[in-house]
Amino acid sequence: MNGLQLTYVTFMPLLGVIPILFISQKGEAGKALIKWVSFVTSLLVFAASLRLYAGFDPSNPNFQFVELAPWIPAYGISYHMGMDGLAFWLVMLTTFLTPITILSTWNAIEKRVKEFHVAMLFLETAMLGTFLAIDVFLFYIFWELLLIPMYLIIGVWGGERRIYAAIKFFLFTAVGSLLMLVCIIGLVYFHKETTGILTFNLLELYGTKLPHIYELLFFAAFALAFAIKVPMFPLHTWLPDAHVEAPTAGSVILAGILLKMGTYGFMRFAMPLFPAGSEYFTPLIITLSVIGIIYGALVAMVQPDIKKLVAYSSVSHLGYCMLGLYALTPQAVEGSILQMINHGISTSALFLLVGVVYERRHTRLISEYGGIARIMPIYATIFLIITLSSIGLPSTNGFIGEFLILLGTFKVYKAAAVLAASGVILGAVYMLWMVQRVFYGEVTNPKNLTLKDMTCREVIYMLPLLVMVFWIGLYPNFFLNKMHVSVNKFIAQTKVERYKGPHCPVQHASLEMNQAAAHGQVAGH
Amino acid sequence: MFSLSELWKITGGQLILLFFAFVLMFVDLYCFQKDAPEKRMNKMGWLAVIGILAALGHVVYREWDLTQVVFMGVFSMEKYTAFLVVTTLIAGLIATLIGIGYAQNNQIIRTEYFTLSIFGLYGAVAMLQSIDLLMMFIALEIMSIAVYVLAGFLKKDQRSQEGALKYFLLGSFGSAFFLFGVVLLYGVSGSVNLSQIAKVIAAEPLNRPEILVAMAMIMAGLFFKMALVPFHMWTPDVYEGSPSAVTGYMATVVKAVAFGAFVKVFFVIFTPLLAGSGEPIFQGVSSLSALSVYWKPVVWWIALLTMFFGNLIAVSQQNVKRMLAYSSVAHAGYMALGILADNGEGRMAILFYLLAYTFMNLGAFGVLYVIDGKERQAQELEDYRGLAYVRPGLAFLMSLFLVSMAGLPPTVGFIAKFYLFAAIIKEGYFLLAALGILTSAIGAYYYLRVIYMLYMKEPAHEVVPGRVNLATYLAIIIAAISVLYLGILPSNVAKLADVAQSTLSFVF
Repeated sequence: MNGLQLTYVTFMPLLGVIPILFISQKGEAGKALIKWVSFVTSLLVFAASLRLYAGFDPSNPNFQFVELAPWIPAYGISYHMGMDGLAFWLVMLTTFLTPITILSTWNAIEKRVKEFHVAMLFLETAMLGTFLAIDVFLFYIFWELLLIPMYLIIGVWGGERRIYAAIKFFLFTAVGSLLMLVCIIGLVYFHKETTGILTFNLLELYGTKLPHIYELLFFAAFALAFAIKVPMFPLHTWLPDAHVEAPTAGSVILAGILLKMGTYGFMRFAMPLFPAGSEYFTPLIITLSVIGIIYGALVAMVQPDIKKLVAYSSVSHLGYCMLGLYALTPQAVEGSILQMINHGISTSALFLLVGVVYERRHTRLISEYGGIARIMPIYATIFLIITLSSIGLPSTNGFIGEFLILLGTFKVYKAAAVLAASGVILGAVYMLWMVQRVFYGEVTNPKNLTLKDMTCREVIYMLPLLVMVFWIGLYPNFFLNKMHVSVNKFIAQTKVERYKGPHCPVQHASLEMNQAAAHGQVAGH
Repeated sequence: MFSLSELWKITGGQLILLFFAFVLMFVDLYCFQKDAPEKRMNKMGWLAVIGILAALGHVVYREWDLTQVVFMGVFSMEKYTAFLVVTTLIAGLIATLIGIGYAQNNQIIRTEYFTLSIFGLYGAVAMLQSIDLLMMFIALEIMSIAVYVLAGFLKKDQRSQEGALKYFLLGSFGSAFFLFGVVLLYGVSGSVNLSQIAKVIAAEPLNRPEILVAMAMIMAGLFFKMALVPFHMWTPDVYEGSPSAVTGYMATVVKAVAFGAFVKVFFVIFTPLLAGSGEPIFQGVSSLSALSVYWKPVVWWIALLTMFFGNLIAVSQQNVKRMLAYSSVAHAGYMALGILADNGEGRMAILFYLLAYTFMNLGAFGVLYVIDGKERQAQELEDYRGLAYVRPGLAFLMSLFLVSMAGLPPTVGFIAKFYLFAAIIKEGYFLLAALGILTSAIGAYYYLRVIYMLYMKEPAHEVVPGRVNLATYLAIIIAAISVLYLGILPSNVAKLADVAQSTLSFVF
């Protein structure tokens, strides 16, 4: 029954593109029809992904719903899709956020509606494919496929300096990923030398024996590609530009999903493929993550532009994700994945909310606002809830993620955990300070007196996000138990030796668990 | 022994082309005299298309499975040659289809245009089939002279004239170098036949200066036709000056022929392994192991410099056609990687890339001339502003071809580059692969600049793109479908290319 489920989910958005291409966008009726087709398509994709939820077996650490068909057999390239606990929530996040994003653009995108929705649906296919591909080549194709629609979304529907931002986004990402391609091919040939099999199948490439220097080199190239996407300090400079110039929908997708592809890439490819390289660079990555957390927070604090503030807060939040991944304890890694989801929800929500006032006032400067809580009470309430989620107040989603990461990291890197914890405080500072300046006090700007509160449509697309904030915050186990075994397998693959040592019984137990998972994996093959 | 039926079987494609070239000349003299000149031009164009299709049919259906030498060891046909011949004929076909519309837009009503392009194709096919250096030279000249004339076909346009003259002068130098190389090899071996030469050379000490000089001369001569740095100086002027349809023709047909001939000459002559044993035992073995110390470093640098120069200088171009000229230099650099790799994968990648390049380049030139209207009316980057909202179809196709040239999935450009880089990484050239792939990021920048002009700027002034002729429509659509099809399902054609490269030596 699960023959082609992943293919359906991945390529369903493209089915929606076909009718859109034939609808004329002259006149309001045509535009509305395009929007509806696009929205309904994305909803159907979400529905299809719910079927994946129903069929997903959380106790199985291996890939599920696997589809395998030869594609370029001469090079051992196949159409190989599958989903495990690491990708599961990211896939769900993608299908969940896309309809919300499309709904949010209802009035914001008025020109070139058809092109916009084609780009959005195309983007969704590329994102899903990236999370679902097991074949490295296929992954790379989806990864690159994403660039063009995102480039267009930023460049066509963006703000003043959109072309600069679009090209910067494109070049940063392209340079990193092209080097990764060279190393993918190199890895495949090394694999062929040792085993005699030419294959791009990720599962077979795991555990390839590489000369140490190549392991370091290849890891560095992969890490560069992914670190640009994450983005890690000091490769983050494209992000604020892209975010500020992108239309709201672009920012939401960018922050909500695209950045996760970087961390996902580390988790799926860079770390398990090159464990030794990964270990060698661990101190550097941990340091950069901590710097990113603090630097992002400090820079966010002084931003006059709300969107830029949120953009820099992304740098800080993604620093946590990277820190958690590299701590390599089960809690930290699970926290890291959860934090990816959290960031996808709360930061997307923030961008959507910024978009709401931007549509009304066409400015995002904090100084232009002030005291609007009285004028837009619903808006202010929702904004405050999301803010609290973003700074990690207990009972919201942000708390769980950050707490798990810090807990897991503290066991192995105490100093890093302590420093990173200060980022939580800084996060509260910049977010709350911004909220205070925007929402409270007297209404200083007369233009704000006539602002309309959120419309029904706007509340509707915010509601699911609010539900998720509390759902994850109050009952995280629902989310965590889908990833336990996969995370253990990931840790086992990436580094087993690190847990050796009798002094820590808890970790010892987790080692055994890991080994059990590793055995399970062998048996699973 | 010489037999007419054998000759027809093996060189039928060529002969059909030759026949049609003469037919076109006579038809021009005696038929369709009462038609309006434009209509006559149109008819002649379709006649040329029929000729190319007939030749293509003959090659595909009757010559593909052959492995044979004919005409006293002058021509051969094996799958390697057949693949390249098909590539050049497809290039010629698309270029001719584009040419029909181009001639109409530019009021070119001299039917020699089609005669010449068929003669050029004849030369191309003859050169690919020949295994005799002298015949190779003659065929090269037949092709080149036709192209020189075509380049100057816009009589009243100075750029076109300048380009043609420049191409002629520098091209003659290139041919002369090639001829010098042939002469030296003749001096060493007493023969102009590839396999004879190979046998003699195998017995000589490999570093005899004559052989090395001959190798360098042949390299220089063919690198000129391929437009590799530092033999690329003519490219931008000639490509920009020539009529757009001819530029597309030049960039694809001539390049395919030069690369095909180069690989064949180097593979056969400078391959002592083969000549010593008389058997194709070197298949899959690095062919030029003995001489490679001499030429590999050279090709290493030439490939790198070509990729860098081509891409870097293209960045600063404001004229789209000139930009495509520099980009074609860069593409030649990528293909040079396949030569450097010097393995089966590399040769396969060259064959695949040539085919891919044919589709994307001719597609791009087709769209370019349509947007242009009359030559040099709207070629500047500024003229492309906001065109996507005036002519969405054209803009989309242009973007597709450019994305393919930039090497992004899901287009054939990506797969073709992947094959090349895979081949070279297999041989351990990591540094060159990394540097080369970075140049393709530079490439992406200027290709995308056209796309942002098309999509992200508001139209500045009224651009009235030319009428799209039916033939052009056909050509561009064929190119676009191929670019996508080969990008998503490259496997079958890649397999053909692989089979083709493995037969390279069978007939000798």
